[in-house]
Amino acid sequence: MTSAITSTPLAPVAASADKRIDGYLRIDTVRKEFDGFVAVDDVSIDIRQGEIFALLGASGCGKSTLLRCLAGFEKPTSGRIVLAGQDLTALPPYERPVNMMFQSYALFPHMTVEQNIAFGLKQDRKPKEEIVRRVEEMLALVQMGKYAKRKPHQLSGGQQQRVALARSLAKGPKLLLLDEPMGALDKKLRSQMQLELVSIIEKAGVTCVMVTHDQEEAMTMAGRIAIMESGRIRQIGTPDEIYEQPNSRYTAEFIGSVNLFDGKIDQDEKDFVTIACPALPDPIHVAHGVTGYSGMEVAFALRPEKVQISKQEPAAPHNKAQGVIEDIAYFGSHSVYHIRLARGMKVLCNFVNQQRWASEGFTWNDAVWVSWGDLEGVVLTS
Amino acid sequence: MNHPRNSAWTWSFLGLGFFFLYAPMLSLIVYSFNENRLVTVWSRFSTKWYAALFQDEQMLGAAWVSLKIAFFTACAAVVLGTMAAMVMTRLRAFRGKTLFAAMVTAPLVMPEVITGLSLLLLFVSLSTWTGFDFARGMTTIWVAHVTLTMAFVTVIISSRLAELDRSLEEAAMDLGANRIKVFFVITLPIIAPALVSGWLLAFTLSLDDLVLASFVSGPSSTTLPMQVFSSARMGVSPKINALATILIVTVSTVGVIGWYFMQRAERRRQREMLLAVKQ
Repeated sequence: MTSAITSTPLAPVAASADKRIDGYLRIDTVRKEFDGFVAVDDVSIDIRQGEIFALLGASGCGKSTLLRCLAGFEKPTSGRIVLAGQDLTALPPYERPVNMMFQSYALFPHMTVEQNIAFGLKQDRKPKEEIVRRVEEMLALVQMGKYAKRKPHQLSGGQQQRVALARSLAKGPKLLLLDEPMGALDKKLRSQMQLELVSIIEKAGVTCVMVTHDQEEAMTMAGRIAIMESGRIRQIGTPDEIYEQPNSRYTAEFIGSVNLFDGKIDQDEKDFVTIACPALPDPIHVAHGVTGYSGMEVAFALRPEKVQISKQEPAAPHNKAQGVIEDIAYFGSHSVYHIRLARGMKVLCNFVNQQRWASEGFTWNDAVWVSWGDLEGVVLTS
Repeated sequence: MNHPRNSAWTWSFLGLGFFFLYAPMLSLIVYSFNENRLVTVWSRFSTKWYAALFQDEQMLGAAWVSLKIAFFTACAAVVLGTMAAMVMTRLRAFRGKTLFAAMVTAPLVMPEVITGLSLLLLFVSLSTWTGFDFARGMTTIWVAHVTLTMAFVTVIISSRLAELDRSLEEAAMDLGANRIKVFFVITLPIIAPALVSGWLLAFTLSLDDLVLASFVSGPSSTTLPMQVFSSARMGVSPKINALATILIVTVSTVGVIGWYFMQRAERRRQREMLLAVKQ
């Protein structure tokens, strides 16, 4: 892990509200190698009971391999996976109290919706009445009762997803795995299904680990997110922690967009620091102390929505620079201004379009000032 | 889209192709209803050669032998072919995997004469070494036919298995079915159409084979192609025409029925999928 320079840390909201068992699922220094290639590099995560946890990363970062280790399709080269006190590491997939919803849903094409959901229960040799009752319960949970006798190809994508979810919940697993849950849906259906999926999972009360490459999806659905890159965890936190307190350049750039100012710590005081940036005329003033030293190479990360834009010079003594509007991207709800600073660096600035046709009259090639508050950015050391 | 008009030129190509393919069969069918003893001279319509065919014990016996061999060949070839296909598509890379795949499919390109000869030598030398009499007959023909047709069946089934979504099998395992159960409850039902077409192909190939059977058959096991071939050497009897007509009609009926049902299932599937999307 990289050392994070943080101010007064935000109170972890989820932790204080959640009194359920910590470390319900322990992923303990799990490592997976394929012919010398390290796909998962000594990853350790503790997951609380009942939480929805997302593994987020670009493709090839090892998140899917880690998920397959949890399901039992891959055997870790080393490390342990412990769920509710039971060591799963050596168990085959069919003996784990873990069920997975596949990206392609993997509904059995030769079985009806009902038979698909009953499949797992039948493997446990449950009595017939219990299977029937449980299947009905599951169909009601995902609101698919009408479609019980249909075959998978007679369902739309969203319906197939619900059946797949019902099937993976039918056995009452201790851990539910979701592999790119929205990967096979079109964009419009996604945002609707994301919240619906969360409400079903919460109703079932199951602990859930999901894998996704879509940060919006992770932030909408998950209580906590782990950002993975080349087999390692870069940061774990709630969506707002990860967005507001990134611990490295990688996470800052991976989640959302960000303005990164490279520089060196100039003055290192107890309650403020200044950072000298070649891209800016004056040093950046940060109104809290950081764990660093004078002359240390750092990056200052500033989200575009934290940047103010004005025609007049702001009154504040520091954290401002002059530039020219080079590009305007209009998104309806907000616009993004691309501002070229006097020393050449480009700064992004979000501007919320609160009034119709207002935009304060900014247009291409206008000379403007950008500024930000001295608590708004994050100082990154890696 | 600009479709070029079908000209007389392309039509004549089509006609020529069809003529090339089907004129011999058509003349055969026509002459099977010829009353004349001489195959090539038409006198008048008659079905007497069909009657004669059904009284020809030898011919009927050979047909029965062929059908039995073809049935058991197809069954064994499907079992062995499925096993070979599973090895080729499901096992992770192992030493000699490519060699195995190449060797399984080698009988496809091997001249049948070579396969037949080597099998004959094998049976003879096995009898000498073991002292057990591998009498040449239906069993040896069956072994020979399985050797040949298994290669075809393996190719058909492994191509189906290769395109089968692996996550289906993983999902079944995830839901508590062990590997053996997954194979029988998920994999086999899904690849069933490939098994059926593999079975039919093996059946046809076995029914049709002359070369292998000639090498490894014994005195009591004459197959239909062997019978036809030997009687044709004596001079073609119109009975053979009758037999061929029956075969052609049977095969095309089965083909047409199969095609019709597949079309219907496919259309219904398309309709249902469209309906599901609309809802």
